[in-house]
Amino acid sequence: MTPAESAATDSHTTDRRRISPRIRVIWGLRLLVGVGAVAAAASFVATRVAPIPSWAGPALAAVLALVGLAWIEARYRVWRYEVRADALYLERGVLRHVRTIAPFVRIQHVDTQRGPLERWLGLSTLVVYTAGSRGADVSIPGLQPSVARDLQTRVKELAIEAEGGDAV
Amino acid sequence: MKLDPRSIPYRAAQTAVQLGGVVIFAGVLSTGDVGTGLPGLLALFVLGVLASTAWQWLYHQRFDYELTADTVDIRSGVLSRRDREIPYRRIHNVDVAQNAVQRLLGIAEVRLETAGGSETEASLQYVSRTTADWLQEELSERKRVAGGETEPTAPGEELFRMGTRELVVLGIVSADLRLLAIVGVLASGVAPAVVEALPPGIELLLALGPSIALLALLGFWLVSGVRALFRYYDFRLTRQGDELRYERGLLQRYNGTIPLEKVQSVSIRENPLARRLGYSTLVIETAGYAAGGGATVQSAVPIGRRERVVELATSVAPVSTLEVERPPRRARTRYAVRYALAAFALTGLAWGVDAVTASFPQWYAVLALLLAVPPAAHLTWRHRGFCEDEDFVVTRAGFWQRRTAIVPYDRVQTVVSTQTVFQRRRNLASVIVDTAGGSGLIGGDAVAVDIDAGVAERLREDVAARLQRALAAG
Repeated sequence: MTPAESAATDSHTTDRRRISPRIRVIWGLRLLVGVGAVAAAASFVATRVAPIPSWAGPALAAVLALVGLAWIEARYRVWRYEVRADALYLERGVLRHVRTIAPFVRIQHVDTQRGPLERWLGLSTLVVYTAGSRGADVSIPGLQPSVARDLQTRVKELAIEAEGGDAV
Repeated sequence: MKLDPRSIPYRAAQTAVQLGGVVIFAGVLSTGDVGTGLPGLLALFVLGVLASTAWQWLYHQRFDYELTADTVDIRSGVLSRRDREIPYRRIHNVDVAQNAVQRLLGIAEVRLETAGGSETEASLQYVSRTTADWLQEELSERKRVAGGETEPTAPGEELFRMGTRELVVLGIVSADLRLLAIVGVLASGVAPAVVEALPPGIELLLALGPSIALLALLGFWLVSGVRALFRYYDFRLTRQGDELRYERGLLQRYNGTIPLEKVQSVSIRENPLARRLGYSTLVIETAGYAAGGGATVQSAVPIGRRERVVELATSVAPVSTLEVERPPRRARTRYAVRYALAAFALTGLAWGVDAVTASFPQWYAVLALLLAVPPAAHLTWRHRGFCEDEDFVVTRAGFWQRRTAIVPYDRVQTVVSTQTVFQRRRNLASVIVDTAGGSGLIGGDAVAVDIDAGVAERLREDVAARLQRALAAG
């Protein structure tokens, strides 16, 4: 690599970053829906099927909600990503901690995705596709749109720069 | 060029057979027996056959293929036309298939496979056998030229050939041992209870139990032996320039090519029986397409002496050693705990069944499974491991189907290390080396399971770094 090239690479790399704390809102809303469904099912069982105490349903929901909140917090705290000189590095997962290296040479294309909830919260997801058998396993949620776009550009630039093909 | 005219009567007959089935079915359905209404049905059938013959004649008339400078052009379709051009360099594989009837007629099907999916890109149904062989030869030659290689193909060098001995071994070895184990457990565990429930006199069966199990075993072997015979009769593997070619099958001959430049990983597989007999299977995975056809993993060598298979594997992937380093001993403790928990869970289940139905008073007998825990944990541990070489990473796992995968660094797509909470307690982790092989769902990935967490960290970074170095060098 010439000095100019390595300077270009340096300007694209990032340090190890965390994702946006607002992702917890999205995960929290999903949790709410899940807990609500469980509570509804429990109350249905309590009234129609079996004589279980009326507090059992809400109690179950409360426990689930607490566990869920703790899990969301842990999940948020664990998430890290880093744009390295030659690869994208991700760290995630509470019960099963996963660290992925996706070399730029292998990246087929890069997407940014925004669902309705994410749009409302001003968040975006970066999805990176490789030819590997795990396909679109590499995605970073909870990015600010500007950050996601910036990452997309960096990854794209570095992927174009990297030589070696897709090995397929 | 046109298809072989003999394909018209063959394809028409194919349709007629299907049509005949439908007509008989319809006849039985409408009249209750085959006899009445026969003339009408017969007329219908004859009409159908005539129509399908006419249709197949049109199909033949309207089907045209041509080898141009850079592509194979296929124009087909009677009513809706399809023109397809397949560039030579995109062709991965040219298969020639022939069943018994087709062999009698001297016709064969030629299938062109490309990357990107398990589906056949184009199929010529049917050309004469000589044309098929010529096409196969010619297409791989043109593919080679299109790929920029200039040296002429040396005549094929035979690498491997399966004899009767290998066929017999394959038959014995490919019987699913797990199925057998389940049958064995059922026979010994359930049979007594069944016999007790039956009227006296059938108790004789109990004495026959072992011999019945033996018969079942022989049956399994016979069935899988016959299957092996049909599928792999006269299996031959040859090397021709940059590709491996294989030919196999008794009634239907299959042959195909494995382009060596597309190889993603090479793996050696053995089940316990094969290990005992000293035999192995060689599987070569190419991008998005497991050699042999479709999404199923097919073997480059269905069965062969272990030394020979290792020799072939290392000729495709010149790895210096297959001596893997086993996971640390604390991994074995982990398996022991896991299996013991499973044994206790099963005992609990048995107790539960007894508590509800009172039909299993000896539920605590299930605890005997605990005796199997130490050997099982040891065997699981013994058959796992990984090692690194200058150009390859090798992983091994599996007792029932031991798989030693050899992955070249320059084929790596992503590297992943994972650690569950249970692994973290013992400071262990797993590393997954993902390639573009076609069998990700069938456990095709190379995984180093339960290695030391620090080693896993290093291995992950090392594989990624070596990929970059291999690309820079190549």
